[in-house]
Amino acid sequence: MGAPGLIRGAAVLALVAAVAIPLVGTRDLVTATFFTFLYIVLALNYDILGGFLGYMNLGQGAFFGLAAYVTVLLLNGGRLDALGPADMPAAILIAVVVTAAVAFGFAYPLFRLSGAYFAMATFSMVLLVRHLILNLSDWTGGSYGVYVNPRHYLSLPVAYTAGLALLLASIALNRAIAKSRLGLAATAIRESELAASTIGLDLFRVKRRVLVLSALPSALAGGVFGLQAGYIDVDAALGVDKTLLPVIMALMGGSGRVAGPVVGGLLVRAIDVVLKNYLHLAVPALAVYGLILLGIGLLLPEGVLNAAGRRLRWAARPS
Amino acid sequence: MTLQTVIDLVLGGISLGGIYALVAFALSLSLATTHVLNVAHGTFMVLGAALATLLFRFAPIGWPLAVLILVLAFAALGLFFEAAFVRPFAAKSPEQILVGSILVTFGFALTVEALLGYGWARWVDPQPAFSLAFPFARVTVLGVAVSGTRLTILLAAAAAITGFHLFLRRTPLGRAVRAVAQNYAGAVILGVNPRRVSVVIYLAGIVATAGAGVLLALAIPLEPYSGLRLTLVAMTIVVIGGVGSLPGALLGGGLLGMAEVLTAYTLGSVWSPVVSLLVFFSVLVVRPEGLWGRRA
Repeated sequence: MGAPGLIRGAAVLALVAAVAIPLVGTRDLVTATFFTFLYIVLALNYDILGGFLGYMNLGQGAFFGLAAYVTVLLLNGGRLDALGPADMPAAILIAVVVTAAVAFGFAYPLFRLSGAYFAMATFSMVLLVRHLILNLSDWTGGSYGVYVNPRHYLSLPVAYTAGLALLLASIALNRAIAKSRLGLAATAIRESELAASTIGLDLFRVKRRVLVLSALPSALAGGVFGLQAGYIDVDAALGVDKTLLPVIMALMGGSGRVAGPVVGGLLVRAIDVVLKNYLHLAVPALAVYGLILLGIGLLLPEGVLNAAGRRLRWAARPS
Repeated sequence: MTLQTVIDLVLGGISLGGIYALVAFALSLSLATTHVLNVAHGTFMVLGAALATLLFRFAPIGWPLAVLILVLAFAALGLFFEAAFVRPFAAKSPEQILVGSILVTFGFALTVEALLGYGWARWVDPQPAFSLAFPFARVTVLGVAVSGTRLTILLAAAAAITGFHLFLRRTPLGRAVRAVAQNYAGAVILGVNPRRVSVVIYLAGIVATAGAGVLLALAIPLEPYSGLRLTLVAMTIVVIGGVGSLPGALLGGGLLGMAEVLTAYTLGSVWSPVVSLLVFFSVLVVRPEGLWGRRA
């Protein structure tokens, strides 16, 4: 069985497990799996920019957190009550539109930069959203956070199903982009911006479209997260984990291929759950993530799947 | 607003700007010579402030000895950092160095900050904050009273920046640093040893950055997790001032320092980070080539 067959078999197994977990698993396991879905969605979204376009976005969590806040605050404000039971999907939809608009706007300053500067500027996007939410405490609750009205609370089975659907949709989105003209254009830009512009591509518009597209599932995930959590504050919705773990996941699995963020996400989440729930380490989990990140950067900067793939190709090369 | 307030605000802004300029210049030199983007740069400021707080609070050794310990400790840390996290990238392409170095230094920063926050909360103080309170008297210059603390910060930052400048302009090693920053391959062909340049830049840069952290702690308390924000401030100045440009760093640092101080005075200090981020994004839209005219 070659590498593609192996991945397909693993995917079927994973899907069976994802369906079986709510039926047989404990509540803790279901919650942990639900979060795994959300993180992998973020990692896949990160890789639309990071993998195809070659621009490192350290601010994916900004879209997630912003949408979580917009969703919860809209519902708490009570303006959508007239919609009846449709108010929750409507709130999430508005949050997605707002987030897409913000991504569209940020494209102007962000894509003035490239490389390291782009990466750092995207991280300042998270800080900006975070500081604004903390400072506008009359609306957002500031550092106290906000509670979700129990009427709007999303039960775990519903959220789990939504998370799984979102994950499958994100995988489909990344596959579709990989095969689309937009994906080809993005890859051309990644390989050489000069060459891409000489064949007549409007670089900025391609980049902006890719950025906005990558923000959409993250925003949906943020909305679902906010309503399921029942309470959000800046650390829960915009914490370093929401913005860094997706990057770690994508790079660990292998950036630039659809399976990479999924495999990396499962690995990181497995490490995370074992660290937090079973090992009871004396040091904070953040320190351990830091060490993992450091190790990947030094040992496997191209990721597990890409390293394995290179080795396979090397072995299969006719001598 | 009285004249006294204006003077206090300007001195506050310029002294903060001086610290920022020093930190940003150290960051941009390391970026220009080794292509390593050191995300842990601000973490060294936090570490400097933390070690200084520890020394002054618990070790009655007087400040000359404390300064010596600080310099030696961060020189050693600089050598270690260069050997462990910069040297492994030496032979790679700039793109590989970029991705690898962001991962490695981000990981380093997270680990150090998490351990520092955890350890400090556990053994020193449940509310970790690094600040130094020196009884600097107000000084009267030309008939106006100015804050001694601010003046000390400004003079120390100016001395460090001048030292950096003289080193780069007047010494053979400084010339080698500028050569490597300008054209790596060309410098190596002419016999410059890039390893030596890298060691010197990280040794001096990390000592200067930790020193800047100590200066900053004289004015405002730092927290274990301030590091990433400070790195971002330095990055912002490098982007708006231009890589490896000292005038750019001074201009960018002054602009950001003044903006933060004026915001704190008018809107409250919680708005300072928002305003500096808005300044950053605005400069990107209006002058993407940087204030000093060179493309970052």
